[in-house]
Amino acid sequence: MKLNLVIAGVGGQGNIFASEVIAQYAMKKGYNVFGTETIGAAQRGGSVVSHVRIADGPIYSPLVPQGQADYLVGFEPMEALRYINLTKPGATFLINRSQVPTISINMGLDRYPEEGEIIKTLSEAASCGYAIDATKAAAQMGNTIYTNVILLGALSKICPQLEPEGILEAILGRLKPKTHEANRRAFALGQELVSAPEAKVL
Amino acid sequence: MSEKKFLMGNHAIARGAAEAGATVVAGYPGTPASEIVEDYVQYPGAYVEWAANEKVATEIAIGGSLCNQRSLAVMKHNGTNVATDFIMHLNFTGVKGGMVLLSADDPGANSSQNEEDTRILVHTYGHLPVFDPSTPAEAKAMIKDAYELSEKTELCFVLRPVMRICHARSIIELEPLPDKLREPSLENDRSRYVMSAVAEPAYGGTLRPVIRHRWLNQKQEELSAIMEESPYNWIEEGEGEVGLVGCGIGYSYIKEALEIAGKKLPILKLGTLPLPRQKVIQFLRSVKKVLVYEEVEPVVARMLREIAYTEGIEVEVLGRDNFLPPEGEMSATYVLKSLGQVVPSFKDDLPFAHEPIPVPTRIRSQCVGCPYRGMLHALKTTIRKNKGIVTGDIGCHDAGSFAPMEVQSTIYCMGSSIPMAIGMAKTGIDRPIYAMIGDSTLFHNGIIGLLDAIYNQANVTVIINDNRTTAMTGFQPHPGSEVNVRGEEAPYMHIDKIASAMGAKVYYIEPYDIEATKNTFLEAAKEPGTKVVIAKAPCFLRSSRLGIKTFPERVVKVDPERCNGCKVCINDFGCPALIFKDGKVHIDEATCVHCGLCADVCKRGAIK
Ligand code: SF4
Ligand code: SF4
Ligand code: SF4
Repeated sequence: MKLNLVIAGVGGQGNIFASEVIAQYAMKKGYNVFGTETIGAAQRGGSVVSHVRIADGPIYSPLVPQGQADYLVGFEPMEALRYINLTKPGATFLINRSQVPTISINMGLDRYPEEGEIIKTLSEAASCGYAIDATKAAAQMGNTIYTNVILLGALSKICPQLEPEGILEAILGRLKPKTHEANRRAFALGQELVSAPEAKVL
Repeated sequence: MSEKKFLMGNHAIARGAAEAGATVVAGYPGTPASEIVEDYVQYPGAYVEWAANEKVATEIAIGGSLCNQRSLAVMKHNGTNVATDFIMHLNFTGVKGGMVLLSADDPGANSSQNEEDTRILVHTYGHLPVFDPSTPAEAKAMIKDAYELSEKTELCFVLRPVMRICHARSIIELEPLPDKLREPSLENDRSRYVMSAVAEPAYGGTLRPVIRHRWLNQKQEELSAIMEESPYNWIEEGEGEVGLVGCGIGYSYIKEALEIAGKKLPILKLGTLPLPRQKVIQFLRSVKKVLVYEEVEPVVARMLREIAYTEGIEVEVLGRDNFLPPEGEMSATYVLKSLGQVVPSFKDDLPFAHEPIPVPTRIRSQCVGCPYRGMLHALKTTIRKNKGIVTGDIGCHDAGSFAPMEVQSTIYCMGSSIPMAIGMAKTGIDRPIYAMIGDSTLFHNGIIGLLDAIYNQANVTVIINDNRTTAMTGFQPHPGSEVNVRGEEAPYMHIDKIASAMGAKVYYIEPYDIEATKNTFLEAAKEPGTKVVIAKAPCFLRSSRLGIKTFPERVVKVDPERCNGCKVCINDFGCPALIFKDGKVHIDEATCVHCGLCADVCKRGAIK
């Protein structure tokens, strides 16, 4: 068993929470876990990328090397594109369709790539891909804070090494009991969204 | 009984120091090392503090050590520059209780304004022994050993983890904490602890600094013998005549690369300075060529060449000074690519990787709702009018130097804004000079620059952004926060009283009031001498997390009829909640925090 995950997003989206949940789950299963995140400017809307590596043998470095990621998860679609060089041939990508433009895009100095372009490019590097609008779904639930749990629900549905029950348990283990009900719903919603035929983009 | 936990490297390091019984811990916040000090608060019986700066932290640590306690000074690489003056004395005096200086390097400058290698300062220059960990678990083991060895050799040991160790997360084994901590005691030893050019009769009148220098030099042999036996250095056998040397995390990248390639090459794993000379000789003799993977500078590569030369070994040493890319962070790919140029068969082992795609970068900015966005906007319009120059400093406000704001003309290291402004003003340049600095940085060493400006009557307007916390590194308290590292109440240093006691004229601004702020900036610059403008507004992000309101909410909307797309609110202000689409500005309701500042920025009255 060997699983390399890269979760890319922007500060404040909760991708570090997501990577910790996955690590906690894997550790409970008795696997070795190693990872890291780049959190330099997380407070101020910078890019945040987490690397999570799970194996039943030794793992040498905390970073997923180029061409070795089995799953590329974009909490923000353009951020997934930023780490395309990490994907392994045959990898799967999962993106949240809600876009967060940069300041230079707002200034008109840069252009946000079209969603079609992003999916097409990611498809060159992967062999399976899903796209859901987790932020929108979370907002409909009443709070964008659920975005990461929705994405974890979706990821556990498409990644056979991550059993949904175990992931959900790890999520709830880190949250206050009074939020459990809503997070259960968010998790189930993610599973449902990713199972819809329109979510499968590759 | 041991327990396993999934921990961040910094937490593993703190745990290691606690298991070794360190009781005096001081540091100054700096990514990637900050979590160590914060985390240490949980360990009973220890004194922990956020020091005013890294030199102070190091001095506190040795104070503890001389009282026979184990102590720890924590900083990041450029903090070590600040502490160097003291390091160049403590290396001569040695320590009593075990002392570790932890300096975290940031190869690739992921969250730093420069890239540098602590090993040069502390080892090449200061002759102190260094441990360079390859994993968080090894870092924990190393810090424990460092305390034992520090007491054995009387030398301060340095642990130099890189960012990928500090911020890596892995499964760590916890061992028990000591049952009993030592009682403090001080034994005078003035021949060591009084550093002065005194003649020592016992040494035929040789001056004390020369004797202590000799002591330090002689210690190197003892250290070499220790490192020869160290569990952090070893040789792994492999095929071929090309050997790989992995220092610290370099070893981890080598192992990763060889696993990807499915090949076995001879490896020399190094985790200590001084080097284990005999092991190095044995390894160099066994190969024709070595590639040395180390962060950041070619420190070990050069040592290996020197050893090969003195021992007459014919081996080619390829390092970051003559072959490997010399700047930036290493990785497994870095190892594979470079190996491909030396061992041709490795060319086929590079895993297929899609080319990186140019993606718009996310430039750091202030948070939505940050008080400093209003202040920066006011300053930008001020200097547009009066041709002012702004020297900047380290802190969240430094993002005001990037596009779209581009306010500060300079940003160097902590505290440099005010002295640089003095230098500019004293050239006689006919433009108003502003120096902008944060509160934590002012206490770190900026206050000395302020004192210099006032004493030398420099015509400088010093803007102090007093947000009551070290926001940039994650809200660590400082002497102007009213609390200490444990969250207990602490005496408050009044910046305004300090500045006026030194003789500066003090102005106050409310950064959420852009108009008044601008007027104060204009007015202050007209006054001769050194003026201090205090922008007092608590960090919005921290306050909002604590549920504290820092401004009256103003819900604003864009009137699309009035907005002509002039983009002043984007280019000269740049709140991330303002989105420009189809020639007009829109407010992203999900991110807007209703500070209302944009309504004051838009002169067309399109935001209300
Ligand atoms: S962390 Fe605080 S001071 Fe820093 S940019 Fe955000 S709100 Fe401003
Ligand atoms: S909102 Fe005002 S400042 Fe912004 S683009 Fe429109 S008119 Fe210009
Ligand atoms: S009110 Fe304006 S400046 Fe304040 S957060 Fe909202 S969009 Fe940004």
